[in-house]
Amino acid sequence: MSSAYIPLIVDGLADAALIFFVAVGLTLVFSVMRILNVAHGSFYALGAYISVVIGLWLTGRGGPVLGLAALVISPVLIAVLLGPLIELTLLRWTYGRPEALQILVTFGLFLILEDAQKLIFGVQPYSQDTPMQILGITRIGGIVYLNYQLILVLMAVLVAVGLRLMLKRTRIGKLIVTVVTDQELAQTLGIDSSRVFILAFSLGVFLAALGGALASPTVGVAPGLGSETIVLAFAVAAIGGLGQIEGAALAAILVGLTRSAAIYFAPEFQPVAPYLVMLAVLLVRPFGLFGSIGLRRI
Amino acid sequence: MLRLEQVRVRFHDQIVLRDVKMDVPASRTTVLIGRNGAGKTTTLRAIMGVLPLENGRIWLDDVDLTGVRSHDRARFGVGYAPEDRRLIPDFSVEDNLLLPAIALRLAGEERRRRLDEIFNLLPEVAALRHRAGGVLSGGQGKMVALGRALMVGTRYVLLDEPFQGLAPALALSYADTLVRLRKSRPDLGLLITESTPRLLDKIVDNSLLIERGEISSLARKAA
Repeated sequence: MSSAYIPLIVDGLADAALIFFVAVGLTLVFSVMRILNVAHGSFYALGAYISVVIGLWLTGRGGPVLGLAALVISPVLIAVLLGPLIELTLLRWTYGRPEALQILVTFGLFLILEDAQKLIFGVQPYSQDTPMQILGITRIGGIVYLNYQLILVLMAVLVAVGLRLMLKRTRIGKLIVTVVTDQELAQTLGIDSSRVFILAFSLGVFLAALGGALASPTVGVAPGLGSETIVLAFAVAAIGGLGQIEGAALAAILVGLTRSAAIYFAPEFQPVAPYLVMLAVLLVRPFGLFGSIGLRRI
Repeated sequence: MLRLEQVRVRFHDQIVLRDVKMDVPASRTTVLIGRNGAGKTTTLRAIMGVLPLENGRIWLDDVDLTGVRSHDRARFGVGYAPEDRRLIPDFSVEDNLLLPAIALRLAGEERRRRLDEIFNLLPEVAALRHRAGGVLSGGQGKMVALGRALMVGTRYVLLDEPFQGLAPALALSYADTLVRLRKSRPDLGLLITESTPRLLDKIVDNSLLIERGEISSLARKAA
């Protein structure tokens, strides 16, 4: 392979990293609560808006390096404030109900969050590219890389490995896995599944908002970001197999690379590229790369 | 004493338990006999709090368990082994056994003590401790599920059809294990559901018969 393709691959992997954050949150929430959260993409958009606002504010107070911190602070803030609130007041009432009702409720939430965003942030696009600029570039073999992109890929790997380790080794991780496998059994063993739900949902919100925050330096933050993201996240989760962390990672890489290849070779196909991948995968494996019928495992 | 008073449970618009009255004394083995669909499993699930009661109360000594949420009942020392073993396939046997201990945040030494007690009673489980829950045979899985119920059940243990699906030889060895459990834990209240109670002859103190959701007769204990 000629080295001319390396930038294509780096672009694709950076894109994949951002998609992965959202899709893995969606998939986590689905496997724990058996709910497909249509509003999940709105947390991504919210993560982007809030991190721009906080980032600009912090940059004004303490310089651009402090502004970088906003990319992590904002998702934590959003998860802590909105996660428990939405789970306790809204989602809690939909568990075990028909899927159509769950989708309607989360779709309603999506509409509310979208309009709330327009109300608060207006319809003009926001942008902050300071984080990207201060991290600079790396030049290897005559090719220029944005350090920010490399960090994105690194963070996605860390999140994937960290999630897996958390589920395998930590107390809360083991409790989550048990609830995923068998909620009724979990309760008889002394596991408070409602607390596990709050935690898992908030973690899902955090991951989506983190994706949005980390994307904000690379894109214009404008209305429509949420809906665009949720459709893409659905596609990636479906390709990977709903509820599968490694599946979401692999699917994100596939979609990221395909999108960036489309941009290089056939830009007019870039918007449909993820869905072509989805079509191809689901034709061969209808439950996704890592999924199977009735699978209750994360 | 674990006591059910006029317990009525409805499931999918059908009454499955009709005003069930039942006493399960501590230090005794109570066997609930009934055909498939008679309401045996429902009785156990109602005691564990995973099915809502339409009517009635459940008492543990002088504590009213009726309003206590399912996961909090584990705290009162009531353990449960469902008929299908339901282990977590990705966890090791030891991690499966310790799940209740980490959920209830038991102290390290208490955790150790209960684990040792389980391994003493079930040496075959001790030998499997590092195996994954998903690769066990049916008989092994039943033993691990019993051990897990004992990790929670310091006062009562409920076993749902323990011999169901076991080959005759395995069923016999499981029955022997229950005899040893009865000896090593004389204080424990045992409630066991069965459709063929013959294997429990050695340990049974009270036999109750359940039919169409009603405890209809109180058979005298077998020898």
